[in-house]
Amino acid sequence: MQSFFQTLTSGLSFGAVYALVALGFSLVYRTMGLVNFAHGAVLTIGAYVASTFYLSARLPFAVAVPAAMAVTGAIGLVIERVLRPLENKDFDLMLIGTIGAGTVLEAAAILIWTSAGRGVPSPVSAAPLIVGGVRIGAYNLAVVGIAAVAVGGLTVFLQRTKRGAAMQAVAMDHEAATAVGIHVGRSNALAFAIGAGLAALAGSLASPLLYVSPTMGDSLGIQGFAAAILGGFGSIPGAIVGGLGIGVIGSFAAQWFQGYSDLVTFVVFTVLVMIRPTGIFGEQTVNRA
Amino acid sequence: MIRRYRVIGCAALVLLVAACSAPGSSSDSTAGGSPASGSTAPVKIAVVDAQSGSSSDLGQFEYRGVKLAVDQANAAGGVDGRKISLSLFDDQGDPTVGTELARKIASEGYIAMLGTAESAVTLAMAPILESEHIPNITSGQSTKLLAVGSPYLFLNGPTGLTYDSTLAKYVVTTKGYKKIAMLTNNDSYGAGEESAFSTSLKSLGLTPVATKVVPAGQTNMTPELTAIRGANPQVLFIGAEEAQSGLIVKQARALGMNVVIAEGAPAGTPLFLSTAGVADTNGTIVSSPYLGNGVSSAAQAFAAAYTSAYGTAPELHGAKAYDGAEVMIAALKACHACTGLALANAIRAVHYTGLLGTFQFNNQGVGIFATAIGILNDGKITPVSN
Amino acid sequence: MSIVTPFRARLLGLAALAVLAWLLPYRLNIYWISVTDTALLFALLAVGMGLVMGTAGQVNLAQIAFFGVGAYATGILTTHEGLGFWTAALAALGFAIAAGLVVGLPALRVQSHYLGIVTLGLAVAFLDWVTNAPVTGGDSGLGGIPVPPLFGIDLSSQYLYYYLEVVVLAAGLAFGYFVVRTPLGRRMRAMRDDSLAAGAAGTEIGVLRMIAFLLAGVYGGMAGVLYAGQIHYIAPESFSIADMFLLLAMVIIGGRRSLAGCVLGAVGLIIAQQELVNLAADAQLGYGLVVVAVVVFTPTGLAGISARLHRRRARGFAGPGGLEPFQPSALDGAPVPAASGTLLEVSGLVMRFRGLTALDGVSIEVRTGEILGVVGPNGSGKTTLFNVISGLYRPSGGSVRFCGREISAMRPYRVSQLGIARTFQHLRLFRNLTVLDNVLVWMDRTRSGWSWRYVCWPWGVWRYDRALQDRAWALVRGFGLASFVSALPGELPYGTQRRLEIARAMASSPSLLLLDEPAAGLNADEQRQLAEIVRAIRDSGVTVVLIEHNMGLVMSLCERVVVLDSGMVIASGAPGEVARDPTVLEAYLGRTPLSGLPAPQREPTEAS
Repeated sequence: MQSFFQTLTSGLSFGAVYALVALGFSLVYRTMGLVNFAHGAVLTIGAYVASTFYLSARLPFAVAVPAAMAVTGAIGLVIERVLRPLENKDFDLMLIGTIGAGTVLEAAAILIWTSAGRGVPSPVSAAPLIVGGVRIGAYNLAVVGIAAVAVGGLTVFLQRTKRGAAMQAVAMDHEAATAVGIHVGRSNALAFAIGAGLAALAGSLASPLLYVSPTMGDSLGIQGFAAAILGGFGSIPGAIVGGLGIGVIGSFAAQWFQGYSDLVTFVVFTVLVMIRPTGIFGEQTVNRA
Repeated sequence: MIRRYRVIGCAALVLLVAACSAPGSSSDSTAGGSPASGSTAPVKIAVVDAQSGSSSDLGQFEYRGVKLAVDQANAAGGVDGRKISLSLFDDQGDPTVGTELARKIASEGYIAMLGTAESAVTLAMAPILESEHIPNITSGQSTKLLAVGSPYLFLNGPTGLTYDSTLAKYVVTTKGYKKIAMLTNNDSYGAGEESAFSTSLKSLGLTPVATKVVPAGQTNMTPELTAIRGANPQVLFIGAEEAQSGLIVKQARALGMNVVIAEGAPAGTPLFLSTAGVADTNGTIVSSPYLGNGVSSAAQAFAAAYTSAYGTAPELHGAKAYDGAEVMIAALKACHACTGLALANAIRAVHYTGLLGTFQFNNQGVGIFATAIGILNDGKITPVSN
Repeated sequence: MSIVTPFRARLLGLAALAVLAWLLPYRLNIYWISVTDTALLFALLAVGMGLVMGTAGQVNLAQIAFFGVGAYATGILTTHEGLGFWTAALAALGFAIAAGLVVGLPALRVQSHYLGIVTLGLAVAFLDWVTNAPVTGGDSGLGGIPVPPLFGIDLSSQYLYYYLEVVVLAAGLAFGYFVVRTPLGRRMRAMRDDSLAAGAAGTEIGVLRMIAFLLAGVYGGMAGVLYAGQIHYIAPESFSIADMFLLLAMVIIGGRRSLAGCVLGAVGLIIAQQELVNLAADAQLGYGLVVVAVVVFTPTGLAGISARLHRRRARGFAGPGGLEPFQPSALDGAPVPAASGTLLEVSGLVMRFRGLTALDGVSIEVRTGEILGVVGPNGSGKTTLFNVISGLYRPSGGSVRFCGREISAMRPYRVSQLGIARTFQHLRLFRNLTVLDNVLVWMDRTRSGWSWRYVCWPWGVWRYDRALQDRAWALVRGFGLASFVSALPGELPYGTQRRLEIARAMASSPSLLLLDEPAAGLNADEQRQLAEIVRAIRDSGVTVVLIEHNMGLVMSLCERVVVLDSGMVIASGAPGEVARDPTVLEAYLGRTPLSGLPAPQREPTEAS
């Protein structure tokens, strides 16, 4: 029983990371109708930048992470600008464009930081919380907390600010949004930048739990993507539920299926997508009539 | 207009007639024997290793070890006055790329190869190297290498079975541990370790209390460790590369597991220590033919030379590669830069005492048959006296 | 006067290429020939990818897994089961086809980016299985795969193996071109450009998608078999996701819509990869940047650049006359008109969309041989009515009977096969198909099962296609579009596009033609020509139902008119009566003082 709860809690803390990744995917999808295949690579860059600030420049972790988010946000702006001519025209091409961008970013990471990875020591040295034999790391709690704050901040931004409302308007009908005076390109750029920042946050938070390497974004990206789809692409509560769900499912799958856990995850995922493509919370449709 | 086509047609016909023999008959493959003309031409040796991808740091250590040996040899006059020229090829950890590289080095006149560190790539390259008569000293340790049966293949260290049987004997017989869990990954190294260690345990009459396999790229082993924790082991055997092993240790400690870690070669490396965090690795039992840079005066000399050349301290893989290169150089000197089967036989005849021990190759190409046991403490390995 | 016609020039070009291909190995050393051999395999893979992505428009990120299935099946069956190489190869091809069908199943439900992630996920799942299953040798891979025996030729030589691969690649390319340029490929391209319109043209979309994935599986499997026979050692690293993205880059950079482009992209990138073998990260950066550049600046790749230059040089597509007058003889060969009586009966049709009722109990009777007009204010449900009849929507209630047969639950392709054709309000021409191809797609009345002939009886396919082309030419000429045969719809003036939309609907030899606002955007002269065409169509035996806002046209053309408002029929009868009906006037003009004005005294009507 203890083993069950231990697996559950460790799954939940990773689930918070996946939720952040899923949020970044969902935000870009919700506003631009685009699935960003470069998201994983952006995550990797964010993790590397944060760990460089933290380890080499000796900045405190709480400063390194936002700094990394800013850098990665800028990268997101560049990607959006480059792919802007394709927006609203051809989704398949834009998808391939993001794959290309992801390839470039991964190669850049290898060229800058070499393909050897690096471990990041935990920035929180407090003792773990022990509840009934189940160990909950202090840092794991911090990750869940920070993720919750990020989600709250994003929700407030989207619903209470003018920019956020503008982004939602673009999502619903980009032509009408232009008619109302919203600069669609800039709104999309902002969405992309925030999405990238969220990816960086996820990667930075995950680095002390995992290992920073050029391929870390691949598996985190795919898990985050599966989380976004399962929860319902474009939905914020969906991203959270999906992320936590994938975290917990992945945790148990790793125990039971060991080496085959990826295979099980993807077969189940394929079947679910076929049965209900819109996910648990349904797809917040991007109107592309 | 018509004439132009006639001309093209005739030219094609001529070429066709001229090429009636099968292609490739004039390819430049060295079938071995005496060296090429010119006794001042450099001796070309290829180093093939992963310089990109997940095992690239291993490849880097290896190359540095080889280069050190070759630089030292060249400084002392080379082979019969001929310099040894090294070229590095990146196999990207991919056996297919390896096979292409095998053909490439054959076509470009390399007479010997050092590497690779991945047994899978070495296995893929072996048949081609055999047909091209290029001797290869590899750093791989898989027992599958023994089944190759090529007179051109040699190992620069002990096999995985040697590592693990020595380790198992120490853990079970000497220290008396009864409850042992195993956590290995599913790449060729980890799979080899899983098989070798469980075989060794079985021969000692013991079965592990828990066995888990993780994907090689996975960085979160908490679920598997949680299951292992439930079985209450005294010792955890790890079969994974340096970084993943370090992560396993770190995450096991975070789960409150105080188990003794037992592992082969990767546990003796700096990357393992930096990933796990030195404090968490205290008490780890390491089975390795090269326990550290201070175990012998030869090791100290090697470490000093390595550090002054590259600025960082060496570790096992660099030492193995260095020994392998030294064996190759010794063979070349003994047979006066011969090639092909003659060089392979010369390698087999080498008796060289290096950092890992005394090399004495058998028919399967293995030259070292023992490892030593050490205990990690504060980042340093202390050898135990058997 | 040259004896070298374009056909002969092409033949000579191919012959020269064949000679060069024969001679190439003589110039290469052992390393470069083995690189070439690998390049040829990736070329084969790329062709398969081009067929499924470029021709059929299906995002397929599992192509590398088909490659892996073919290779591993061959390897396992020869080493573990001891089967002969070619027996194992045949079985491996079967496995690859099965894999293609499995991967294609999600394509029935999702498209574009969802399909991308699902296929990518399945590729990862395959890799996962291969890395863990004992039978595949796990991460260490599988060695000792035997050399394929071939009439005593020693295929362990990379040089001789090259010839085997060249022959297979040539055959694969030839088959690929055969598919692309005949009905099956045309339908796939139509589906890629506009799957909705393709369905209305009689294409069974689901089956076509599966066929596309099946083809991808065949090419991938063949490449995998040859790979196993060439390298004799397979390991999971050769089928990684990084390789998948490299393959994608080959197809994008070379040009996914051109099979030759795919081949060039494959060969080019393999050679570049080899040249940069010690600079793997730089090479990756390079090809990633090139992919982004190609996608943004020239989405059809390098082959697309050459095709565009070609088109620019051959600018004279617009022949001497431009749009020529319509000739009623174009409709010769239309089907024998159905017996008189009710052709289409819509009873109590209800269509609801999540709270919005678009059609609320519509009942209309369409008599054989008439021209029926459907009018009504915007939003009254006219196009929705057409969409339900043609099978795009399934009604929430009521029935639609065609020749006495209930068709309300039928899919668009079935409705089309029964003899109902339609045009679209916002022109849905296949934008990357020529005018002739647009017509050919609608003219092709074969069922999905007919595609088996591609494998069993290709000669029959060729003959059918030739006959189809002749009939299409005649129709195009009859509709006055002869000078535009090789033009793309986007290059045509608007009026010509409208005519093409009608022409291709007529190509399917329907008994009922639904025209959705055919006069929108036409000037007076074009409208006159339109009326002429519609009358000729009716005279040839086709019943016409027409949605129109242009009252003059409706009055002069239609014998009966039905008026819809807010999803209900508010009036029906002769045009003159309906125009005076107060309910109709109120619907159009609203309850304003104007509605109290007396109706116009006399409506000048042309005799139909």
